[in-house]
Amino acid sequence: MTEARRLSLILAAALLALAAIFAGPTVLDTYSVNVLTRSLLYAAVALTVDLLWGYLGILTFGQSVFFACGAYAAGLVFTHMDFTPGNAALALALGIGAALFTAAIVGWLAFWHGASALYASVITLVLPIVATQLLYSGGTFTGSSSGLSGFTSFDLSTEAWFWLAGSFLVAMTTLAYIVVQSDAGRLLVAVRENEQRCKYLGLNTSRLKIRVYLACAVIGAVAGYIYAAYAMVVAPELAGFVFGTELVIWTALGGRGTLLGPVFGALIVDYESAQLSGNFPFVWQLIIGTVFVLVIVAFPRGLLPMLFDLPRRLLGLLRPRAAVARPARVALATLDAAQTQGAEVGNGPALAVTGVARRFGSLTVLDGIDFKARAGELVSLVGPNGAGKTTLMRCIADGAERSAGTIIVNGHDIGRRPPEACVALGVGRKFQMANVFETLTVAECLQIARARHSRPSLWRRAQRLPLPEAAMHVIATTGLDRQLSTPAHLLSHGLKQALELSMVLALEPRVLLLDEPTAGLTKTERMQIGAILIDLAKKQGLCVLLVEHDLDFVREISSRVIVLHQGRIVLDGSVEEVVASELVKQVYAGSGHAGIAHETAPKTGGQEVPA
Amino acid sequence: MIAQTLDIVTTAAILYAVATGLLLVFGVMKIINFAHGGLMTLGGYAALVTTQAGWNPWLAIPVAALFGGVAGMAIERFVVRPLYARPLDAILATWGLSIIIGQVITIAFGRGVQFTQAPLSGTLDLFGESYSAYRLALVGIAAALGLALTALLQGTRLGLETRAVIMNEDLARGLGINSALVRFLTFTLGAALAGVAGALITPLSSVDPNMGVPWLVNAFMLVLVSGASLLSLLAACLVLGGAQVLVATHFSPVLGGLTIAVLAAVILRIRPKGFARD
Repeated sequence: MTEARRLSLILAAALLALAAIFAGPTVLDTYSVNVLTRSLLYAAVALTVDLLWGYLGILTFGQSVFFACGAYAAGLVFTHMDFTPGNAALALALGIGAALFTAAIVGWLAFWHGASALYASVITLVLPIVATQLLYSGGTFTGSSSGLSGFTSFDLSTEAWFWLAGSFLVAMTTLAYIVVQSDAGRLLVAVRENEQRCKYLGLNTSRLKIRVYLACAVIGAVAGYIYAAYAMVVAPELAGFVFGTELVIWTALGGRGTLLGPVFGALIVDYESAQLSGNFPFVWQLIIGTVFVLVIVAFPRGLLPMLFDLPRRLLGLLRPRAAVARPARVALATLDAAQTQGAEVGNGPALAVTGVARRFGSLTVLDGIDFKARAGELVSLVGPNGAGKTTLMRCIADGAERSAGTIIVNGHDIGRRPPEACVALGVGRKFQMANVFETLTVAECLQIARARHSRPSLWRRAQRLPLPEAAMHVIATTGLDRQLSTPAHLLSHGLKQALELSMVLALEPRVLLLDEPTAGLTKTERMQIGAILIDLAKKQGLCVLLVEHDLDFVREISSRVIVLHQGRIVLDGSVEEVVASELVKQVYAGSGHAGIAHETAPKTGGQEVPA
Repeated sequence: MIAQTLDIVTTAAILYAVATGLLLVFGVMKIINFAHGGLMTLGGYAALVTTQAGWNPWLAIPVAALFGGVAGMAIERFVVRPLYARPLDAILATWGLSIIIGQVITIAFGRGVQFTQAPLSGTLDLFGESYSAYRLALVGIAAALGLALTALLQGTRLGLETRAVIMNEDLARGLGINSALVRFLTFTLGAALAGVAGALITPLSSVDPNMGVPWLVNAFMLVLVSGASLLSLLAACLVLGGAQVLVATHFSPVLGGLTIAVLAAVILRIRPKGFARD
């Protein structure tokens, strides 16, 4: 399907929805139109909960506050000033401004580098509690617990309000749908799936989260503004924790991460609540509570996906079909070498580590680490488990990790920079365990790795994926190019490792950190990776730092070996020097604790040590 | 001055009693039990039933523990157990449970506010200040709860296994500890403690179907800044509870009600470990 065709289908669906909205008042009675106008606006807020929770993975209890920002801005301005078109515009601006301001504070609190998902949820939980208390204590200005009512507003008919609310919802849903399906929207899922990998792919995930949060705040505020102008009453409950959790409940029931599910969830539950709660108020709440618990425990995807799956399954029963491999949507291409310079090469060595130490409380894991590595060198870090190899890698890739010392990459001091900024300096880190986006396809994983270089579109999906030569080389050698539309979790262990390596290479790093890239691979795969690494160092001029346990492998590919033991460098020299060294044999043979100078003879050959 | 000190100490004691059950569940299971508020409401109504039946008001405490514990067993088995791998979903499911508990109680007892009989009434003279005897008794009860839990965790085999599960569940299972049983018992105990807390606070306020909810958020924030330690919970209750009393008396009660939540959020932003030592 071409891009134009895909987008016009979405627009056609939106137009159909708009037609249904405009037909609504002719088939519904006045009471339903009234109730549904409110539900349509609530659904727009539920949409923002889904964007944040379903796509970005931030469970938020506080979206009610942004709705209240817009609603109270209208209520306050229309109560305390006259209703004029100018004031109406002022109220809208104030509402959006207040929502943005609140969202910025929440974003600063909740999405800083290193904040946990639970902490972000906690902040969004505190938010509505603070907001309601502030509204309660506002006296006659905010109307305290009874809120504000009796203000003048736009003079529109019931139908017109219904159309306005409905058009707003359709517009926002369409917009959200296009964005989440786009290249940029895929980043949201990537952050939810594996935020750490995103950071080490050079993406500023905190900034991304804050931006989405701000956009959601604006949608909420506009919905609230329309609500207040239509209902002509605002109450502190609009900002409350209970409304905030109701939004989450509707989203969960409808199906998180589907956009349409939460919209319909909000519409149906809120409409039915209004119909039924008059007669059976408590029983209705009890049913909603029970269904909610049931859905969370047994059907976490929600009810809409189940509804869609049902006919497909029934069809599958009748007509069993073999799974057809999806054709690759994306065509790979090799970037012109002239365009793949990576970070600008500074003066001096590619990597200079001086006096680096890492302490955890009283435990010193690394101490006084000094070494330099040039571009084109392939340096292997060896040493027994617990020697501090992975810790050293971590210190180079994340400025906040080390306790002392300086690290210079391409002539730039990394200072205290977070991982994404280290990537910008030219560091690429491959983790010990294959670290990819499990639910995304191979092509999508690679696209996310390139997001730092080519800004992804907010509404389109790229058809071409140009990759640097090094990444293309890995993909072609390992046969990943035939699996572009396979979800990453279905790949074999070796292919996953290769995928992660090509993702890191797609960053165009100057300093490549590889933590046991061959662990768990077959002999053939190991040979392949080895040849690729030599090629990267020799031909592409990368500075490769490699953690390895397999000393045969190290001997074959390294140009230099650094031996770490108990957090210190005990040897730094050529492959021959290290292999000939008695010291290394002793370190590996395990006689090292009392001091490496011991005369104990090595018990084993000391060639290969299991990880 | 003395009255204020007593206010701070008794407020901290109440908060401590309310938060221990939540702390225990969070420590062992890494799950936030949002049904804690609902279970407290259940405990409050257990107290109401006890005193309405004409029994000794002190009996409300074991009765509430029984109510909470039995509800906790059912919740752990059918709702929490499938959600161990999804901690954020567990928050939601337990919140749904607290809605269910609230609605069932509303159907059974009506929405109205009711009052229970306090086991202790009148005032005591302490340092020349006459102070509510029941609030003072709560300090003793909270201390007893804390000591009993510490003894249970430090002195028994089950406590040892529980601490092992807190520190490293995979390793504990590898050593043959039945971590599912530990979780089950912990959740039951946590729920029973929630019931007790509900019974303890009813003489101070009133009983209504949503009485637990305002306590939930404060207890939750206190647990988050305390990590998994009963001792740091005590510190958190004294510091944040004290701040709440000071703000409420010197500025406004409304701001006082926000103090714990806001301070805890800021503390966690500056120091993610909160009051925990390591």
